Parts: sequence; C-alpha cells; structure tokens
Amino acid sequence: MGKEECKTMLDALNKVTACYRHLVIALGSTSDSQNLREELKRTRKKAQELAVANRTKLTSLLKDKTISKEDRAEYERLWVLFSSSMELLEVDMKRSLEIGQDFPLKVPTRHLIQTGMTGSTTTVAARAMSVQNMKYEADSNIDTADLRDLQSEITQVSQMMEEMEMKVQVAPWAVEAKQEAGAELKSNMSVGNSSVGVISICEEEPKEEDGVLNVYIATCE
Amino acid sequence: MTIRNAIRDHGQRYRPRMACLKKAEKVLLEMQDPKTGVKSQPQRLVITTIPHAISGEDIIAWLADRFQIDSQEARNLGSMLVALGYIYPLQDHKRLVIKPDASLYRFQTPYFWPTQQWPVEDTDYAIYLAKRNIRKKGILELHEQEQYNRLHKWMNHKWDFIVMQAKEQYRAAKERKKPDRVVFDCQERAYWVVHRPPPGTVSAMDYGLERRIDPNADEVTGESLHMIFTQQSIMRPRVKSSVSIGALVKYCATYNSHDPFLSKCLPSNPWLTDDVTYWTLNMPNVEIPTKMRVERWTFSFRELLSDPRGRDDFRLFLKKEFSGENLAFWEGCEDLKWGTAATMREKAEHIYKTFLARGAPRWINIDGKTMEITVKGLKHPHRYVLEAAQTHIYMLMKKDSFGRYMKSPVFKDTLKKAIAPEEHKFTDAQLEQNAKNRRPSLSPIILRQQELEQKAKMAASAPVDITQVMSKLSKQGKEVAPRPPSKN
Repeated sequence: MGKEECKTMLDALNKVTACYRHLVIALGSTSDSQNLREELKRTRKKAQELAVANRTKLTSLLKDKTISKEDRAEYERLWVLFSSSMELLEVDMKRSLEIGQDFPLKVPTRHLIQTGMTGSTTTVAARAMSVQNMKYEADSNIDTADLRDLQSEITQVSQMMEEMEMKVQVAPWAVEAKQEAGAELKSNMSVGNSSVGVISICEEEPKEEDGVLNVYIATCE
Repeated sequence: MTIRNAIRDHGQRYRPRMACLKKAEKVLLEMQDPKTGVKSQPQRLVITTIPHAISGEDIIAWLADRFQIDSQEARNLGSMLVALGYIYPLQDHKRLVIKPDASLYRFQTPYFWPTQQWPVEDTDYAIYLAKRNIRKKGILELHEQEQYNRLHKWMNHKWDFIVMQAKEQYRAAKERKKPDRVVFDCQERAYWVVHRPPPGTVSAMDYGLERRIDPNADEVTGESLHMIFTQQSIMRPRVKSSVSIGALVKYCATYNSHDPFLSKCLPSNPWLTDDVTYWTLNMPNVEIPTKMRVERWTFSFRELLSDPRGRDDFRLFLKKEFSGENLAFWEGCEDLKWGTAATMREKAEHIYKTFLARGAPRWINIDGKTMEITVKGLKHPHRYVLEAAQTHIYMLMKKDSFGRYMKSPVFKDTLKKAIAPEEHKFTDAQLEQNAKNRRPSLSPIILRQQELEQKAKMAASAPVDITQVMSKLSKQGKEVAPRPPSKN
C-alpha cells in the first residue's frame, strides 16, 4: 500500500533530519573535526535522496483524483510532515554553511569554541546512515571543498521547496494531528548508551481537555 | 553570507538589527585562545568530568585586562554576554548574570548563538518542550507547561511532526557518550532560557516587536520626489536652535522627576519588580490621584485635559462656576474627530444645535469670524469641520479657566487629598514571588464596557444641572431640554 511505504520513507527522513541537526550543533565546537565534516556531507546527501524520493511518491499520490476523502486527508497530513521536515533540513543546511565558513579547520589562529563537548559524533552519523560503523575516506581539505557543494545543494533544496509550494495545493493549517498532547510520553524509548540505572515509574499523563487519564510506565535505561 | 533567509520568510518579519552580536562574537573567539584566552578548568560531576568550565572571576578579570576597564564595567560586559546567550551559567541557570566568584560558566556552541537572520522558531521550541516532557516524564515547570499547551493549540497541524521529531532527536542524542549528553542538555536548556525566558528572567534577546519593512531594501528614489522634498524644506518654518534647545532643556527639567527611567517610580516600577501597585494607583478613574499625577496637571493645560482624572476635576470646577459648556463643547469636538464616520453627520448636527445655534441651550462664546467659518463648514460636515471653533474654545479655557482652576478650592482640595505612596523594598525572595504571581490585567474589552457603563450611570444619575449631560449621550436619543444661554 502506498501509505505504508510513504510512512516508512517519512520515518527515515525524520530520523536523518534529527541526526543532521545533532551534527550541525557540534559544528564549530571542540567536537568539530575532519570526520564531522564528512559525516555532515554524507548525512546531507542521504537526506536529499530521501527527500526526492518522498516528494515524488507524495506528489504522485496527491495528484491522483480518484482517492477517497479520508485517504486524501491522510496524504495531506503526510505532506505536512514532509514539508515540516524539509523546512528544518533547509534551515540546518544553511546554518551549517554559515558556521562551516566561519570555522575552517586548518587555520591555526582560528580556534574552535570550547564547549565542553569533546567526543565524536560517529554514532549519531551511523544512526543516520543506518550502518554499524562509519568509514572515513575524505580528503583533508573537505572543510573548504565541501562548502561549494553545500551551496549548490542549498539552492537545489530551496528550489524544490518553492516548486512544492506552487504545485501541490495543500493547506497545512487544515490538517488535524493524530497525536494528542503528551503523546511523546507513550511509546517505549529505544535502548541507548546510557550508564544511569534503571528507573520504573508510574506517571499520569499531563492534563488533557477530554479528561482521559492514561497510566503507563516509562523506563529510562 | 551570500544566502539570505528572507526569500522564504513569508511573514516578512525583519528582526531589529543588533550590531553588538558581531562584536560579541569577536570577543568570544578571542577568549578561546589557549594562550591568551580565558583559563578553563574541568567540572567534576558525580560520575563524569567535563572540561572547559570557566569561572566568573576569570571571565571578569580577562575582560578587564583585554579592554582596560574597571571590574564593575567588566562585570556588566560579562553579564551582557551571558544575557545574549554566548556564555551560560552552570549553576543557577535561570539568572543570566556573571557572578564575580568561583561559579562556573561554559561557552555556548555556535549553532545556539543569537543571530540576526535566523528567527527563533516556535516549531523548535515545541520540539524542545516535547523532548523535555519525555525526559522529565510529564512533569514540566509551570511556565513550560503553559507554553506547551499553548503551542499544542496553535501548532496543532504540525503536532505529529513535532512528536516524531522530538522522539528521533531524543534517540539521536542518546547515541553520544555520557559527558557530551550532559553538555548538550545544558546547552539546549541555556538556549531556551535566553530565547523563551521563564518568568523572572531578563534576557537580552527579548527585544519586543519585529519590524514590518526590510531596513536593507532599496528606497524608492526619483527626480520628482527629490524636487518636492527640496521645495517643502524651503517652505518649512524655521526656529533658532537656541530657542528649540531652550525648550528641550525646559521640558527635560520639568519632566525629569516624572520619568521612570531617570528617577524613582513610586511605589515601584512594575516592569522591574512585577508589582502592579503603581498601575492600580494611577488608573484613569481612580478616586484619589497620586501627588505626582496632580503635579503633572500644573505643567500645562494639555496635561490636565489629557489625564481623565484631571479632566474630571476640571469639569467639577467648571460645574461650580457654571461654565461647563466650554469643556462639553471641546469634548464633543474630540468625539467628532475620533468617532466613527457613520455617526459624524448626526454628531455635528447635535453639537450645532446644542452649542452653536442662536438661542442654543449651551451656547458658547466664539467670535464672529470663527462662527461664520464653522456654520459654512457645517453644510458639508467632515471630521475636522469644528477645528477652528475647538481651538478658539481651547485657548479660552487655557488662558482663563485654567488659571482660576489652579487657584480654586477644588484643586487645592484634590492636591491635599492626593497620596504619595512609599517606596517598595523587595527582597530577592519577594521578587521571585512577585514574578510567580504575575497575572494578565483586565482585557481592553472589559475596560471599555466599564467605561461605557460609567458614562451611562453618570448621565442617568445627573441632576437637572445640564453641565453634567455630555454630548455623547445624543446617541442614546436623549434630547437636551432647551435652556436660556448660561452666563459665562
């Protein structure tokens, strides 16, 4: 079914966007390195591939006039998810260009900001690329060489978003979300590299308008 | 920076320019130098050690040395850097100041620096609150919970995205090692303390309204515009600078003690202490005004008329002198100028019948020429048709009645009864309490209703003395009984 495919692709795009943001936050700090720049480049490319794939799929689904009203509402909701992801991605790409230009790696008089972060971001990038381990093979001048590519990619993405807005007639404010307030507390968190002990707590969900009380267990590993 | 964000900024928002940001960034980069920058030390937490913590006293000493300033000014400069969000405190994270002791701070990562061209998006804030919700297992602080509910209402169409992205960002953050995770949490929290300050926090990025036009856009120029501009500047009346400067000096000297920026605001400035006594004591319809307010009435007639309480007092005085029709006429003209276009014609007619016509019940004394102009204008009434007559009456009141009012028992009585509130002296704890008790004031809709109710009450309870009846009541269809012209 087109919908399931769409949802999987959107989940993937969402994951890559989140990881990209984490990587951009490390730019310019003491976590910054050759490897980070390469991670940024590869995550970006992956994000763009996913974006194009998502866009083609969703536009073809939305152009179809024969779909039912519920289906159309669902596709519009997916479209809003997609365009919101793209907005975040676009801003992060522009910011990474700006910060990348301000903090070249090889200039000895240009110091990185001592933010307290010193570890590598390789696990984040591995999560984005859906691989076990990252292999690094870039040239030493990647910090300056990549910026030109980045500029052209940003223009591409901006163009794509303008086209999207022009061609697809979806009113984002008309979409109703399926999740309620506090929905992020519901599902179990995935296992991460934490060393803090296990805590099991029964908690009430923050107040909602319809007064539904949900009791669930949140585990922090 | 070649790529501008403004292209897709559909809201056409232009944030105020902050030239200080570029300068602050330069200073910050200098502070990073391992040899000449600020000394850093490791921060020891329970399980981990995190490097690159700097103490307040080191920052202040470095700034004083770098800029050759004294330590008080270095402290102010340091606090400015913290308030902008370039450095964040590790303890007491809600107070954005530099403490001149061993309390620790850390540099913020460039992504979270304040910027001119990247607006702080509510979407990002919603994602942050959702992540915090996950982390705190549903227990958010009060102001965070309020913001969360508000954003959930207004950004409902994006809420699925916000939840998805929050979960993914939370998971991605877990991929990093423990010390880096702690640092990232602190960074993000510090960023939002600056850009969405909790109650009681003063942040330098709280700059108010955004502009509506792009200050960098090209202005429209043309030869004909230039000509018109120069012609108008030739025709403009000129005043000697000695005269205008003298007027400015006089104004400053008169209003100096009344300006809350330059002198104390009694009992306390609500914007600083979150205590609204000042506003309650100075409400438009308060019974007993404050001494400062009464003093302002003596500065000029305009001040007296523009303050509703002052105008009430003046009206009372005129009632005793049986010359209330001047003020009533002036108020009627104001009502005409500022009222709706639909009611203009009937208002103008009513004013004419009440004040200007031969044998009118509240006839006012204006000279023949003005009367001629006014009557001619009333054939085709517009908003400013009574302007000449209004100015004449205003000058009459100013030169004659105002002086007598200042010497009258009414004014002396008001002055005697006026209160001078004591200055508040709040402790830090009380200030925090005040900040927590902040509540929105009455809605303007309610205030307007109260105003109208009061006017109706005044009119209904008015004795036959006509000086109480105001021209605004013509809307309710009450006709003024014909009376012989009153003595002036």
